[in-house]
Amino acid sequence: MDIAYFIELLINGALTGMMYGLAALGIVLIYKSSGVPNLAQGAMVMLGAYFAWIAAAQWGIPLPFAIALAVVGMFLFGLFTERFLLRRMVGQPIIMIVMLTLGLEILLRGLGPGLFGAAPKSLDIGIGLAPIIIGDVFINRSYLVGAIVGVIMIGLALLFFRTRLGTKLRAVSDDHVASWSVGISVERAIAISWGLAGASAVAAGVMWGSVQGIDWTLSLLLFPAVAVVILGGLDSIYGVLVAGLIVGILGSVIPGYVDPIVGGGTRDVVTSLIILLTIIFRPHGIFGREDIERV
Amino acid sequence: MRNAIKGLIGAAGVAAIGVSGAAKSDDTFTIGLLQDFTAVYTFVTDEYHHGQMDYIELVNQEGGVEGHTIETIVRDTGNEPQRGIEAYSRARDQGAVLVDFLSTPVSRAMVNRVLDDEIVMITALHGRGDASHGTTFPYVFPMMATYWSQAMVLADYIDREQGGLEGKRIAHVYIDSPFGREPVPVLEELAERKGFEFETFAYPSPGTEQSATWSDVRRFQPDHVLIWGAGGGQPVSVREAIRAGLDPADILSVVWMAETDANTIGVDHATGVKRFEAVATGTDYPIIERIQEEVIDQGLGAGSEDEVGTTYYNIGVATMAVAVEGARLALEEFGGPLTGEKLRDGLRMIEEFDAEGMMPPITITEEDHQGGGFGRVSQWNGEAWEPITDWFAAHQDIVWEEIEKDAAEFREDN
Repeated sequence: MDIAYFIELLINGALTGMMYGLAALGIVLIYKSSGVPNLAQGAMVMLGAYFAWIAAAQWGIPLPFAIALAVVGMFLFGLFTERFLLRRMVGQPIIMIVMLTLGLEILLRGLGPGLFGAAPKSLDIGIGLAPIIIGDVFINRSYLVGAIVGVIMIGLALLFFRTRLGTKLRAVSDDHVASWSVGISVERAIAISWGLAGASAVAAGVMWGSVQGIDWTLSLLLFPAVAVVILGGLDSIYGVLVAGLIVGILGSVIPGYVDPIVGGGTRDVVTSLIILLTIIFRPHGIFGREDIERV
Repeated sequence: MRNAIKGLIGAAGVAAIGVSGAAKSDDTFTIGLLQDFTAVYTFVTDEYHHGQMDYIELVNQEGGVEGHTIETIVRDTGNEPQRGIEAYSRARDQGAVLVDFLSTPVSRAMVNRVLDDEIVMITALHGRGDASHGTTFPYVFPMMATYWSQAMVLADYIDREQGGLEGKRIAHVYIDSPFGREPVPVLEELAERKGFEFETFAYPSPGTEQSATWSDVRRFQPDHVLIWGAGGGQPVSVREAIRAGLDPADILSVVWMAETDANTIGVDHATGVKRFEAVATGTDYPIIERIQEEVIDQGLGAGSEDEVGTTYYNIGVATMAVAVEGARLALEEFGGPLTGEKLRDGLRMIEEFDAEGMMPPITITEEDHQGGGFGRVSQWNGEAWEPITDWFAAHQDIVWEEIEKDAAEFREDN
């Protein structure tokens, strides 16, 4: 076996997985705070990237400030989403709320290119193309930076849930009525979680957008992101870290060996199998909390 | 999309004045631009469609085609055959004599219908390559080099200009779809004839993450790489190829590589990358200059002025230039009103037509609807795509073996 090839697949897979984690983090943030599985996160990643592009390329704002502005924009977008869409769904069955987020995903996927033009947009964040070479192993510099950003974002999310506000959000996730009864503004808590998911979407959108260009296909990150949150557990930030690594590594190593034999296409099969097998054998994921309801 | 919205408003206007097959006046004819404005082909549709609409406006401004004004019907198919069928049926009922779907799945689904209805379908740079077989597909016109011909032009360029093919290692890195796989048989045949090692590497759609594929490509140590994708996957391919240690000059792309891709790669990083070119890029061509003067400067453009002269804009212009030339020849020969049958025959009369220098001179015949399979190689020079060869076609014998084989299968199945 070519050990350098294996290591290269492993490392680049792990880095890619952490970048998937960036997209997955938003789903966990919302679920952990409000119990809503947000299927609009892919389109939010796309929108976050468009916001950063508008600020940087259209308005000529220096990139760090453009990204900061996009974070603010997406935070506000998250707040508005909660205020005008989610709040109306209070008391509705969870499946209707899931469908609402799916509808939002489809709406944004069409609206983004409609408003900003369908042709892919470029966002140069200054990462060189030359790989980092260690022995015979070539490491993708963009994915390395993306993975570092992913780890930082996950770390920040973990810290956030240890703050007073984060504790309130966890309480809201556990029980809306009990939270209300102790004076926590459930609506505000949920709005903040959507805002935070919007902000994390910018990080994912900028990193992925710098690699592939910005267009509607960024929203397709929803698929690997869903695999990450299902495997890691919908309410687990640690899960994003670990599952991101697993999804990324399996999605790199297995196709690396199987694709040349079968002619390609196995990565999506691997991702689908991760989703299916997790749901069958461990529905709450590796780190997800298993709620037991007594009837 | 903004173009689409304008177009759709235009389409509504056409409907409002009651265009139909029966009510159609003799001094107009209708073209259906039923394209994918919202799904897979969005990377190209805006600019392509913009070019088509601006060219049609130019022709109308200059008095139409033999006195006939062109009307357009614009609808979004979302790359879905079912929506394409719906849009097509309405366009047919409104009297369209030519349709352009700019979508391989939709145009493939429509082949039998246009053959039955005797409506011309143009499939420039998409659709089925065997539709070049004019006697099998009398109403389908690829009118530009098929993917088979594009692969042969690029391979021939390596053979003639990059030290020959013999003994070389050529990697074909492609999006895992029928489009990506399409040139494989002709390249395999050429590998046998020319004695080079040929290997294929697929990456999953939409191509936003290809690192595992390129680790495998690197093990193969190719001398040259052909990249066969579209949209967001293309810049990722080039970036990965450069990371894998390939000289950009050894990266050769299918026609779907434009200015936006070079920007996404990084204009400096992309310097040296080559691509197949079906239509010239830029504004220094009489047609584009007239569009600028008579359409854009008059405020009649269908989209952003920045798009004028871009790769896909000019391809859109060229498709309509060929269609209008066919219509002109048909009206000259047979008189109005223009029908699908007359237009088909007019297109088959096209000889050495180059859209005033914008494209290779094409000749369409009853047998050959591809027009000869011509193209050229251009290279990103840091600012623009610069042609580095003349227009040429290569190994058309191999291409036509494939066309004949697939067309025979179609005849058998139908």
